[in-house]
Amino acid sequence: MKPFTWLAPDTTAGAVAMLREHAPDARAIAGGQSLLLALKDRSARPTHLVSLSGIDELTGVRTADDGSLVVGAATTYAVLARASLAGWHGVLAEVAGDLADRPVRNRGTIGGALCTADPRYDMPAFAIGVGAGLRVSGASGDRAVAAEDFAEGAGVTALGPDEILTAVVLPPLAAWDTVAFEKFRHRVFDAAIVSVTCALRQGPDGTVAETRLAVGGATPVPVTAPVAAALLAEGASAAEVGTRAADEVLPGGTTGGEAVRYRHELIRSLVRRAVDRALSDVRTV
Amino acid sequence: MQKVTLTVNGREVTAEIDERTLLLEFVRDTAGLTGTHNGCMEARCGCCAIEVDGDVVKSCNVLAVQVNGAEVTTIEGLSPQKLGPVQQVTTQTLAGVYEPLDAIRSSVEDLHPLQAAFHRCHALQCGFCTPGMVMVLKDYLEENPAPCRDDVRKAIAGNLCRCTGYQHIVDAAMEAAEVMRGAGATTTDD
Ligand SMILES: Cc1cc2nc3c(=O)[nH]c(=O)nc-3n(C[C@H](O)[C@H](O)[C@H](O)COP(=O)(O)OP(=O)(O)OC[C@H]3O[C@@H](n4cnc5c(N)ncnc54)[C@H](O)[C@@H]3O)c2cc1C
Ligand code: FES
Ligand code: FES
Repeated sequence: MKPFTWLAPDTTAGAVAMLREHAPDARAIAGGQSLLLALKDRSARPTHLVSLSGIDELTGVRTADDGSLVVGAATTYAVLARASLAGWHGVLAEVAGDLADRPVRNRGTIGGALCTADPRYDMPAFAIGVGAGLRVSGASGDRAVAAEDFAEGAGVTALGPDEILTAVVLPPLAAWDTVAFEKFRHRVFDAAIVSVTCALRQGPDGTVAETRLAVGGATPVPVTAPVAAALLAEGASAAEVGTRAADEVLPGGTTGGEAVRYRHELIRSLVRRAVDRALSDVRTV
Repeated sequence: MQKVTLTVNGREVTAEIDERTLLLEFVRDTAGLTGTHNGCMEARCGCCAIEVDGDVVKSCNVLAVQVNGAEVTTIEGLSPQKLGPVQQVTTQTLAGVYEPLDAIRSSVEDLHPLQAAFHRCHALQCGFCTPGMVMVLKDYLEENPAPCRDDVRKAIAGNLCRCTGYQHIVDAAMEAAEVMRGAGATTTDD
């Protein structure tokens, strides 16, 4: 680790001011679960670390007046996993409780995962899959960014050097009838090789009105598969949607190298599983 | 340098430390408690697990300054430490009358149910992973008093053991869970 100065503000505004004062080499630190690994191998060499864990306004989960779920960026996985959330918002708790391991979940935060922008992490893919919005605070004011526009490349986000992510906002319950999350990993605490989120809303007549599919792990940033998702409303089977999604996310994937073929196959299977589960969820409601 | 105060197993420890000091290093080098082990320094093995304000963390992946002011519990904090005078250990004493609990002048009644169960079930061989296993399982069982074997395996997914094959560790966790629920026999938590 390279030496750094430790700063512990207690407001978001204070944190932003510190990041601005010491830009561009100051870094925010939430739980430190990803950043400390980077500090130890010196792939990150900040001169100042601005701790977000003492900022109360960045933690906790609350339902806004319009029914959307506002999740503080510095909320840990452990807190999310224990939260009792209604309807499909509960899938957030399930995802948070089934990644990494217990000690890591006690410190790692949802915002830290999004800002690391590792393509294999679960939360970025989940946020894109349900159409979440992100709130950002910076020296030049507050702004909102759609989850799918946040990651710009593996490890690269839309955040400016003096900006922090303050909240992840899940749309109101009415946005979807059900959300299914599927992932594949070799060992329980490994990051997923591929993950799939399928969000589904029915029309008044019980047919599928809208489907959203997001795939993480296969590409440098998680992506949606709108063409495959639209097939569902046209009556395609889960298997057909899976095959189409795999081709959409990894074009030519069946003839690529081993790693690409493997991911192509995983997308196919996981999308089929997620779609199957989502369909059976809405049919039993 | 940064002044950091932690309450480690009930004892307040204050020190001027380099900001880069990991919680693991604070516990071992500053507080002088070497029961918490350093197995990888990259959050992979779980040997360094300790509790911070009641939640288990991998202490190699936390800066001491991040948890300034916190209450920390390490493996040494689970049962009273009654270290006896250092005795010469020879192959003969080992082969003959070696009783691990004698060495720390302790008895089964003094141990945390998990420590007692690890002892009874032979859930350790070299023992390097044990402090982390016990700390993670303690945190887990306090929240989930009635797990099945698969749940226990998932709970220790972030803890590596190169010796036991995990079987006896899971046995011990199941037995300790019973005791901690109040359903089992013999040992009590203090
Ligand atoms: C052993 C291990 C296993 C893991 N397994 C999984 C897994 O199975 N699935 C999975 O999805 N993830 C996994 N992870 C990754 C984990 O999800 C992340 O490490 C964690 O969520 C990061 O959050 P943090 O609060 O610790 O972030 P930090 O490490 O504190 O920060 C990470 C980065 O984000 C920036 N940052 C953090 N918060 C903000 C903010 N609010 N605004 C702006 N910038 C910010 C920091 O500057 C830094 O660059 C694993 C990690 C470990 C160590
Ligand atoms: S030393 Fe901390 S996890 Fe290995
Ligand atoms: S007993 Fe040797 S590593 Fe677990």
